[in-house]
Amino acid sequence: MQIAIVIPVDLWEDDSEGVMTAWLFNSGDEVDEGDLLAEVMVEKAQYEIIAPSAGVLTIVKHEDEVVIKGAIIATLDA
Amino acid sequence: MTIDCTRCLLSLTVEAGLAAEQALLESICAGERDAAVLAWQPSDRALVMPLRYQRSARFPAVCKALHQQRWPIMFRLTGGEPVPQSPQVINVAMVRRCRLGEPGVDFEWAYLQMGSPWCAWLQAQGVAGADLGPVSAAYCDGRFNVRIQGRKLVGTAQRWRRVRHSSDMAVLVHGAMQFDGDPLDLVTVVNDFQAGIDAPRRFLAERHIALREAIPDFQPQAIGVLLASYPAAGVNSEFSRTSVPV
Repeated sequence: MQIAIVIPVDLWEDDSEGVMTAWLFNSGDEVDEGDLLAEVMVEKAQYEIIAPSAGVLTIVKHEDEVVIKGAIIATLDA
Repeated sequence: MTIDCTRCLLSLTVEAGLAAEQALLESICAGERDAAVLAWQPSDRALVMPLRYQRSARFPAVCKALHQQRWPIMFRLTGGEPVPQSPQVINVAMVRRCRLGEPGVDFEWAYLQMGSPWCAWLQAQGVAGADLGPVSAAYCDGRFNVRIQGRKLVGTAQRWRRVRHSSDMAVLVHGAMQFDGDPLDLVTVVNDFQAGIDAPRRFLAERHIALREAIPDFQPQAIGVLLASYPAAGVNSEFSRTSVPV
C-alpha cells in the first residue's frame, strides 16, 4: 500500500509558498511512524513533517524546491 | 529559592540557550504545559543558523575560518538565515500549544503574539516609530521584524511541531534583539559567512539598530517588563540558577 505524504492544508492560512528546507531521510530509507521526515519553511517558520506510518520513503519534492499546501512531497510504501 | 520567572533574564551559553528553547518546545509536545516564555542573554558568541546551510560545499571551510575568529557556527530549530548571537543580544522565546485550522491561528498569529507586545513595550518607554515589518538589506529579514523607524531591532522566526497523540501543534516563536554595541560588528560576521559560502547577498549595518541607540540607559534586566506582558508563564528558573531578578 502506498501512502502519500502531503503538506497539510492547515499548516498556514494564506496562499504563501513554502520551501523544502531539509529531508532527514533519503529515498529508499525505511522509516517508522512518527519519525521526523522533513522540514518545510514559510516566512521563517519551520514546520515539521512527520511520517504518518511506517514504510519505505520515496521523495518527490527535494530540498530547496518550492511547495504549496496540499502538495505531495513524498510517498511511503508500507 | 523561588524566582519570579517572568521577571528574569538568564545568562546562558549559546549552546545552552538553544537547548533550553528546544526543551521548552518539547515540553509542550509532551503535554507538560500549554505556554511558556523564556528570556536569555548569551554569555559567549556564535553564528546561529538553520541546518540547511550545512549543505553548502564551502561550509566546512567557512565553519573553520569563523571558528578561528571565535565565531563558532551552531544550528537552531527555527527558520530564516544566519544570525549572530553574542552578549550584546537578548533572546525571547515563547512556546504555545494551539490548534491549526482554527480561524486566525497560523504563523502570522504567532508572530503577532511575539511582536505586538514588543512594540507596545518600546512605545511605553518612549521609543517612537516601533512597528512590525520587513527591512531590506538587513540580515535574516522577514515580514515580522520589530523595527524602530524602519530599522531592524528584533528578528523573529518560528518552529512548528505536532503535539504527540493530538492534532494540536506546538509553536516556538523566537525573537533576537541587539541591545548594545555597533550593528556593524554583527553584520560583518554574517557578511563574512555569506562571502565564505559564495552567497551573493550582503547586508548593511545601517539597516539595523541596537536598542541603546534609542534607549541609551537600557539595562538588560528591564526585559522583565516585556516578559510580564506575555500571556505565557515564565519558566526561566527551570534552566538556570544564574538568572538575574529584575
